[in-house]
Amino acid sequence: MSRKMFNKTSKCRFCRMGVQEVDYKDTQYLPKLTTAQGKLFSRKRSGNCARHQHSVKNSIKRARFMALLPYVA
Amino acid sequence: MRMYEGLFLIDNARANMEWDNVVKEIHNILQKNGSEILKTEKWGEKKLAYKIEGHKRGTYLLIHFNTKNTAIAMIKRDFQLSDYIIRSLIVKDDKIEDLTQLATGETVVEKTAAKIPEIEDVDLLAEAVESVNIVEKA
Repeated sequence: MSRKMFNKTSKCRFCRMGVQEVDYKDTQYLPKLTTAQGKLFSRKRSGNCARHQHSVKNSIKRARFMALLPYVA
Repeated sequence: MRMYEGLFLIDNARANMEWDNVVKEIHNILQKNGSEILKTEKWGEKKLAYKIEGHKRGTYLLIHFNTKNTAIAMIKRDFQLSDYIIRSLIVKDDKIEDLTQLATGETVVEKTAAKIPEIEDVDLLAEAVESVNIVEKA
């Protein structure tokens, strides 16, 4: 049962919302894509498609460089 | 010509004293290298996620500009040499969405934030965590 539920919700959230690219300046939303330590969620864990996971990775790394997000919390 | 977006992290000591001059100098650096400034936006003072060269707080400035791709290397070098800019990040910004945003004056942050409903995602995450836990237990 649990596996079925996981499959249902595993479609990429950004595809569902129609977001083209994830913005590195969106400091309210980006922490939700990381663990409490500030590590990136895996593709399996976040449920993102390849394109959006790539975009998330880039934007989090940019946000870290600009000290908007921590490298290690 | 191509559209770029630069985010600058500025030393608070200088930003609080003479903000207008700081903005002017940054504009000068951009214009010296043949770029055309479209929009300037102050983000205000923020706490940094980690210390940079002893700085705990800084002021952010966001600038949209048009320039030739050959000028970017020189612009980056000039920003690195200036002592009151702690960090700078210049990113290509070719999306048509953003051009329309400039016309309406709506900020990028607001738009993406509005697009993404927060509550739904918290639920989703919680659900995902639960299901992962269940799978792990099984």
